[in-house]
Amino acid sequence: MNNQKETVKWFVVLHAIILIFSINSICSKTAGVALNDKDYVKALLFYGVVICILGFYAIAWQQVLKHLPLITAYANKAVTTLWGLVWGYIVFGEKVTLIKIVGAAIVIFGVYLVVTGDESVQLSEKKSDKEEQAND
Amino acid sequence: MIKYALIMLTGTLIASISQIVLKKAAEKEYPSKLAEYLNPMVIGAYGFFFGASLLAILGYRGVPLSLGPILEATGYIWVAVLGKIFLGEKISKRKALGLLVIIAGIVVAALGA
Repeated sequence: MNNQKETVKWFVVLHAIILIFSINSICSKTAGVALNDKDYVKALLFYGVVICILGFYAIAWQQVLKHLPLITAYANKAVTTLWGLVWGYIVFGEKVTLIKIVGAAIVIFGVYLVVTGDESVQLSEKKSDKEEQAND
Repeated sequence: MIKYALIMLTGTLIASISQIVLKKAAEKEYPSKLAEYLNPMVIGAYGFFFGASLLAILGYRGVPLSLGPILEATGYIWVAVLGKIFLGEKISKRKALGLLVIIAGIVVAALGA
């Protein structure tokens, strides 16, 4: 019961981190556009912001990895594909075509398969752990 | 556009390598909280990570933000393959199918760009 609460807590933390990570992509895009405009001060400024967010991300991610498996944490990052569509449309006025949305949906479905395909592996690992303990 | 997409894909490969190194580092026991972060593996992994972020910015010179994270989804494939090689993580049939579906989704989205 307590364990389940902990897992939910780390999932909420994970998604807060993922949202911040998606905002980081806005900064990366802004820096890229600034480079094209030869506005090197602005590009450097936004690279600085990217580094700062990554610094925070570094510490937060390392903690999350201690509580959730890498593939689970990494798979949930699939949500960033949706955030990319949202921020691209809102912040940069990009065209969000139906085929792009379909592509993103297929990617997320693929990630769902990867995660659920991974669960069976985790279960068998737990089983073998128990067997090891029993042998001890 | 292709050039910038390739720059971004290279960045994603480098970021995936750093993820594998971080997972290896997270599995170890450390004498102190500080040593958890300040050790050669973790520092090296984040060195890769910052290099990858620079490649992402260079890629975004030509790649739209709405496509960037979809291209970065190639990271799942790299993590699965590198995880199998270096961490001994298994790739089940379902997981392999999922990886193929991800590739299909990336191709579809790229066609829509």
